[in-house]
Amino acid sequence: MIELQGLTKRYGETRVVDDISLTVEQGEFCVLIGPSGCGKSTTLKMINRLISHSEGKVLVGGEDITTLPPERLRRRIGYAIQSIGLFPHWRVADNIATVPKLLKWPSSRIAARVEELLALFQLDDEGLHDKYPHQLSGGQAQRVGVARALAADPDVLLMDEPFGAVDPLTRDTLQAELARVHRQTGKTIVFVTHDMDEALRLASRVALLNAGQLVQYDRPAELLVAPANDFVRDFIGRADLGLKLLSRRRVEEYCRPAQRTRNNAIASAPITWQVDANDRPMALLGGRLGEPETARTVVNPEWTATPEMSMKEALSRMVWFRVTALPVLDGEGRLLGEVTMSGVMGHRS
Amino acid sequence: MSVPHFPTSDTASARLVANRVLVTLLGAGLLAAWLLPFATMSPNRLASGQTVGLSEALSDWQVIALLALSAALAVAALRRPLPRELAHGVILLASLGLLLVTLYSLGDFAQRTLVEKSPSARVSQGSAFWVMVFCCALAAIDAFQRASSGWLLRLGYMLIAGGSVAMLFASGHFDDLSIMREYANIRDNFSDQFITHLVFVGSALGPALLIGVPLGLLAHRRVRLQGTLFSVLNFFQTIPSIALFALLVAPLSALGNAFPLLGEWGVKGIGAAPAIIALVMYALLPVVRNTYAGLKGVPPATVEAALGMGMTARQVLWRVEIPLALPVILSGLRIVTVQAIGLTVVAALIGAGGLGAFIFQGLGQYAIDLVLLGAIPTIVLAVIADFTLQMLVVLSKPAGTRR
Repeated sequence: MIELQGLTKRYGETRVVDDISLTVEQGEFCVLIGPSGCGKSTTLKMINRLISHSEGKVLVGGEDITTLPPERLRRRIGYAIQSIGLFPHWRVADNIATVPKLLKWPSSRIAARVEELLALFQLDDEGLHDKYPHQLSGGQAQRVGVARALAADPDVLLMDEPFGAVDPLTRDTLQAELARVHRQTGKTIVFVTHDMDEALRLASRVALLNAGQLVQYDRPAELLVAPANDFVRDFIGRADLGLKLLSRRRVEEYCRPAQRTRNNAIASAPITWQVDANDRPMALLGGRLGEPETARTVVNPEWTATPEMSMKEALSRMVWFRVTALPVLDGEGRLLGEVTMSGVMGHRS
Repeated sequence: MSVPHFPTSDTASARLVANRVLVTLLGAGLLAAWLLPFATMSPNRLASGQTVGLSEALSDWQVIALLALSAALAVAALRRPLPRELAHGVILLASLGLLLVTLYSLGDFAQRTLVEKSPSARVSQGSAFWVMVFCCALAAIDAFQRASSGWLLRLGYMLIAGGSVAMLFASGHFDDLSIMREYANIRDNFSDQFITHLVFVGSALGPALLIGVPLGLLAHRRVRLQGTLFSVLNFFQTIPSIALFALLVAPLSALGNAFPLLGEWGVKGIGAAPAIIALVMYALLPVVRNTYAGLKGVPPATVEAALGMGMTARQVLWRVEIPLALPVILSGLRIVTVQAIGLTVVAALIGAGGLGAFIFQGLGQYAIDLVLLGAIPTIVLAVIADFTLQMLVVLSKPAGTRR
């Protein structure tokens, strides 16, 4: 879908981007990552010609990008940056409609598309349609930014540190949402970040850059298991490799059937969940370290898990609340299964 | 909307008085009304006359109305019993009332007095009148500041205040005042000069915008030009206005003589040509500077996003940069308009006409009323222009951020 061939950018004598070649397949989520000044943003902006390249070639959908006028090219490629990129004098709906308007879509089609996108990003029920960017929360503004990039239904989406300016909690939600949108739409995404956890969480392929050169281009798991050299190892961070692996895994991969009971009786299994009539877990029988197996602990919403949660988060909750198992709940709070401390070890990457 | 509360010294008066500005204005107004002459009477246009105090000049109901409105203002200045919002409303209404009563009383006094005098006798406004009018205006402006009111309320208030004063004039209530008799003498000439004044201001602003906005854009786009451009414009701004008018006389008259056709079009050493050129030169710096500052204030990320979405450079300019820079550009226009209205007065010195003509004529004849006939409309024009453009600045801001 996107092919960089010997892509180079020179400013005078310095080569900011130096001979980068890589291919992003259709539907791939490619994350460009590296330390500040490694050329990742420059590389991204050369794909939609916001920066012109000095040498090499960029092919999008098999076409050399220099054969098109830059405006035509950019209208075919979605582009999202930090929320300050929203047009402050336009309402949310107008912001989202930017590219369709440039493409002169009929207004009824634009209106329908805006509603569709607001629904996709769960922005439809808040009366946001007519608000101005400064009236939005950071997370809402960011969603509008991504919705705007998707408006004309481009095959390719370029994102330049889109979640750089939001707080960690919101960023977590936005990442989950972007992953969902990527699964639902199957867009090809090129995403720039300097946050390794973000990269590992979202990417199907990671391109690690340093001093303008491509150091390794691989699947996230390969990057963790088989780093190309010491730079990669250092950049990923040697200390919590295991945790980083877990941040790529979702709870549903580790979830296994849970032992249930309707009363206080201890069943045969070491960990048993006491459930109510609606199959909602009320208490954990056993399963607390350093306490007798008969100990009853009331289930607290803080230490439950959902199938989409990362295993890193689930493990963190187990450690923090000193339980060896978390109940996995569906949308209605019913018990789907459990993840356990020993289960975390049992899975191979 | 609450009034910002600043910590004040914890004295008894601070606990009692919420609005010290108003107390000061009220004190000044009452003191002036008590000590200074409210009006003067003279046997003819040029002789100096005898002064008349407020108590002599006003009828009973007028004095009572003034005292009642002053009392309302005094109560509104106190911390209790009125809540702040209500107090601001009272101040706005009472100061408008005071202004109208003061104006009405003066006209009324002139009518009553002149019935039994000779036709050449004149009644003019005294210093107490000016102080009172001034205090009323300041009290209203201050109340608007404190209430941090919306633009719609300000507009409505200005229309009502302006409308009622205009109606007093239109009804002929002031016709017996000296200044209005002076006006009656020069009525035709006055409207000519008034229009000339407006035409000058307009023909200075048009070219200033047409040249200044593109220059501001150029300064924004070509960083290297900035230094030269701004120092040239700054240099214009430092030349005193009279000197600039004078400097233009020689080259323009030479030009007009060398090319008779240009001379026929009005390019002459004196008159409109040098006046308009000078006004444009003065207007350029604020227009260019504010255009540049406005464009510079557009976040680079917004422009990058616009380009990244696929807007052409022209679309980015018209759809993103200009709309976002507009409030700052209009602030520049506001400065320039008020400045041009004032400078056009000076242009009368090189024979360009306008309201300044009356001022200089009046100064020459020592006819104060004639001076005022030039000065007051100039001030009113400047205030109206300033207010209108202020409204436009507010309206040009993205909706939702307006105040």
